[in-house]
Amino acid sequence: MGLLTNLRDSVSRVTDRLFASDDPKRIGIYGPPNAGKTTLANRIARDWTGDAIGPESHVPHETRRARRKEGVDIERNGRSVTIDIVDTPGVATKVDYKEFLDHDIEKDDAIRRSREATEGVAEAMHWLREDVDGVIYVLDSTTDPFTQVNTMLIGIIESRDLPVLIFANKIDLDEADIKRVADAFPQHETVPLSALEGDNMDEVYDKIAEYFG
Amino acid sequence: MPHQCTNCGHVFPDGSKEMLSGCPDCGGNKFQFKQGAVDDVGDDADEQQITIDDSAAGDDSAAPDDSAAADDSVTPNPEPATEPTGTTDADSAGTSDTTDPTDAEVLDDDRSPGGESPAQSSARSDIVSDDELPDSPPPADDSAATPTDSQQPTDQSTSDAGDVGEATADEATSSSLDQLRQELNDQFESIRIVSPGQYELNLMELYDRNEYIISLREDGRYVIEVPDGWGADEPT
Repeated sequence: MGLLTNLRDSVSRVTDRLFASDDPKRIGIYGPPNAGKTTLANRIARDWTGDAIGPESHVPHETRRARRKEGVDIERNGRSVTIDIVDTPGVATKVDYKEFLDHDIEKDDAIRRSREATEGVAEAMHWLREDVDGVIYVLDSTTDPFTQVNTMLIGIIESRDLPVLIFANKIDLDEADIKRVADAFPQHETVPLSALEGDNMDEVYDKIAEYFG
Repeated sequence: MPHQCTNCGHVFPDGSKEMLSGCPDCGGNKFQFKQGAVDDVGDDADEQQITIDDSAAGDDSAAPDDSAAADDSVTPNPEPATEPTGTTDADSAGTSDTTDPTDAEVLDDDRSPGGESPAQSSARSDIVSDDELPDSPPPADDSAATPTDSQQPTDQSTSDAGDVGEATADEATSSSLDQLRQELNDQFESIRIVSPGQYELNLMELYDRNEYIISLREDGRYVIEVPDGWGADEPT
């Protein structure tokens, strides 16, 4: 009997979790390489949990496996929103080891990184298909947002009807052009920020709570 | 190019979709290319020159037993051209650590500088001309269908999984060319290895596919995660 009771209890717990409205939403942080995804993920995680998610680097494709931080409680306006953050590898249509050579990386290591980065893109796309409830799309606001990758990924996200926020990152840099990002994806809300400097993070958290809470 | 189960050595003929349902002999789902010409489906000589890349055998733990025997003798494939001829290299490559049911591993032909054989690149980039096709090719998918259709996954990327090579030799031969090209297209259009360290990715394809590539290897092999539904329980 004890076994049956336990089984019933665990089934009950599972169904409770499945249908609980306040389950943490799994939010994927997507974008091209070097947009500042990990910097943003670390900023959010540090602000609300004290931990970091992964190493940041100016070398593209530094994040080559998806990393997850669960149970990040963000408090806004007197209520708490819990999300799981998934920092994904930068998505690209081409990965070339030669781009690593410019960063003082030896050829063998560059080839290995290239391979891992390619695996990372595959993993990121897989997560997008299977495992995210919402998307934060991070763009470097100093670069042209009209790229094949951005258009394709936003299109996929829209086709899945996932809630999405566009984050125009790196606004601390002189060349940042927030309007260009906003104009590129007028159908979505664009939030300017500097994840590195922590600029405009209040609005960032407001929007996260609003969209993913 | 024929495929070979890395667990028991079972050889799948050119263009066979049979392995998409797992190895009929051992249930394994890790496979590698048997190297050799692709276009010459009936050329025995190619099979006799098989030299599996050393790394293929090297990094796989020595798994046992009947792999050699299976490789040599257990070949239900009715197509004589693809019957293995017992090369020792193939035997050693038949040893494997491939018991993980979630992974399928495919050995790419990495001998060419571009990381793929001419047949692969041709299959990926060219359109089959009419004169290349056999007389009156069967209507693409279901003509060679077998009972494995019953476990056919639903996704489009695997919709031809039931189009297996366990049909008659005639059917297998007549449809092998376009099947093979389609199969290679299916396998390589998500990630194209331009050269070592240089890749081109088809994001839509990566997103759309049921399985996803979880590991690329230096020698051109890659490991994919196969959805659970791809069982190997059909005897044929």
